[in-house]
Amino acid sequence: MKNVIEVKHLTKSYKAHKAVDDLSLEVHEGEILGLLGPNGSGKTTTMNCILSLLKFDNGKITVFGKEMTPSSYDAKAKIGVVFQEVAVFDELTVYGNIDYFCGLYIEDKETRAQYVADAIKLVGLEDCTKQYPKQLSGGLLRRLNIACGIAHKPKLIFLDEPTVAVDPQSRNNILDGIKKLRDDGATIVYTTHYMEEVEILCDRVIILDRGKIIASGTNDELKALAKIEEKVTVEIPELSPKQLSGFEKIKNVSEVEYDNGVLKVVYRRGKNNLGDMIEYLKENRINYDKIFAERPTLNDVFLELTGKELRD
Amino acid sequence: MFWHNYKYAFRTLIKSKEMVFWTLAFPFILALLFYMAFARLHDYDTFEPLNVAVVNDESYRKDVAFSEAFKSLSEGDERVFNTQYVEKEKAEELLESGNIEGYVFVEENEAKVKIKENGTMTTVLVLAVEQISQSVDAVNDIAMDEIQRANGAVDIPAIYARVAAKISEAQPNIKDDSRVMNIVAVEFYTLIAMAIMQGAMVSSEMMNRCLPNISNRGKRVAIAPTRKSIVVLSSLLAGYTMLFAAVILLILFIRFVLGIELGDNLGLIMLHSAIGSLAATAMGMWLSVILKTNDAAKNVIILTITMVGCMFAGMFGGQKVFFDEMLPIVNKISPVGMITDGFYSLYYYDDLSRFTVNIVSLLVVAGIFFALSIRGLRRQRYDSI
Repeated sequence: MKNVIEVKHLTKSYKAHKAVDDLSLEVHEGEILGLLGPNGSGKTTTMNCILSLLKFDNGKITVFGKEMTPSSYDAKAKIGVVFQEVAVFDELTVYGNIDYFCGLYIEDKETRAQYVADAIKLVGLEDCTKQYPKQLSGGLLRRLNIACGIAHKPKLIFLDEPTVAVDPQSRNNILDGIKKLRDDGATIVYTTHYMEEVEILCDRVIILDRGKIIASGTNDELKALAKIEEKVTVEIPELSPKQLSGFEKIKNVSEVEYDNGVLKVVYRRGKNNLGDMIEYLKENRINYDKIFAERPTLNDVFLELTGKELRD
Repeated sequence: MFWHNYKYAFRTLIKSKEMVFWTLAFPFILALLFYMAFARLHDYDTFEPLNVAVVNDESYRKDVAFSEAFKSLSEGDERVFNTQYVEKEKAEELLESGNIEGYVFVEENEAKVKIKENGTMTTVLVLAVEQISQSVDAVNDIAMDEIQRANGAVDIPAIYARVAAKISEAQPNIKDDSRVMNIVAVEFYTLIAMAIMQGAMVSSEMMNRCLPNISNRGKRVAIAPTRKSIVVLSSLLAGYTMLFAAVILLILFIRFVLGIELGDNLGLIMLHSAIGSLAATAMGMWLSVILKTNDAAKNVIILTITMVGCMFAGMFGGQKVFFDEMLPIVNKISPVGMITDGFYSLYYYDDLSRFTVNIVSLLVVAGIFFALSIRGLRRQRYDSI
């Protein structure tokens, strides 16, 4: 598989603080790679080093097979970046902003007009082209920010937390747009601290903490790292201590917690745990309201590996 | 790419309320305020001479060049001052009672003015004394020549009397004596200089857009496959275009709408403004590169520098005298001082040598600022952004 980005032993410090610590990674052509980690884990710093915006202490970065430097104009022409902070001109309309930033890459006016129209359609801003950024809602503004970053049809796209503070409708629109970009052949590096987005979007995930990679792989590979297989949650209005201790004896159960009428049972492994639980409740004549099972999440993986929540 | 960036940079500038205010609205508002403040002076036909006093003591009488020049402004139908020659105590008394705007005295061979409060009328007095004092320096040089020619003769008052008679000969390039007292032009020249210096804020704003360590838009520009030099140059040119257009509009407004006499060389005034705008642009570029702070803080710093420069250059009347005495170097190296002095010299002298010195100085200043900025911009990666 062809690598679009190769980072080897990247180290970046801010005075005594190591923001990125001996980090190596590869991004394969055509994939969506998720960089997942809490705030301050080094995701954005890594991205800025790859883009040659930041000096770094050590390491080597190649993009499209060549070492990345500030004057790598050939590589830059094929890269699109959507920064975390909205970076548009308040004095330009939606169309003007996209046209301006696209024009830094595409000189031909006709081609540019087509690209700008495509970007507007991709992010669903067809009805707002003549509006100014201050007239847009937070979600629409984020969509404009994305359109400005990808209008020139880049082959490699960095998306840095593009859905922060976005309403559900815009969020879905943005995620659909990202999938479409991948389907059109772009390679995407997606940094976020929203594990749900990573699970929906990413082909491969790298989990960062304190500037280091603590795990990487596909969603399933990462979840396999978690020592739990399944969590079953049951709403039980009343439960005696004897009944509670009975749950701990069920096969494959590793942990039982009962609080405020909600029972949470963690299974280490095993199949059909939900069915077994329903059977157990019937046999023991325990009344319950709702019951559902959950597979482990990336947050469980992160918790397992670092002892803290992703969103800490 | 150059013109694409230029077009959008210019478009964003003319739509930016902040930039339009500082480059266009603010100078126009000040021009109107100045016009109203100097309305009495503007109408020369109805100009009323100011009541002033002179402390007629030994020091004053010994300063022949100054006393003769001041006397010439106190005589005739077109006199500027109604002058009373009195003792110092009487002058104080007249000032306290409000019968005079101020009084002039000579102390340690230096002409000084005492006023009760700042205002348009007292500014006229202060500037008159300042201009006469500056002429006295030239006269002193001539006097020394006379002494040397007299082979060591020591009859200084007699020599001064002869020199005083030669004042007009000594300054043959002064176009018109009536212009010496044109306080209105002085103030408006400083206002134009201030408007030109607003260019520093415009170019700083333009630079901020190109610097990834200052703005998010700068990050977008930095990752684009466009050379930084092209983006910087086209952005600065857009800022310069807006600034120069605003300055030209201001000059035309002052000259043809307000009807202020700015001299015969409107073309050279515009040339001087163009070069002054270049220096202001370079200064803003340099400040933007060296100041590691946000846009708003940068603008406050630049505005402060500009306004202080204008104060040194005489925008607020008598302070110019004070600063020329206390810190003479400031107006020599300050772009505002150079711009204002260039306008003065165009207005007062036929000879363009002093004007040329100011033009060359401004070009040198612009060159230095551009060189320092380019040095700072050569860094392409940042420690932090």
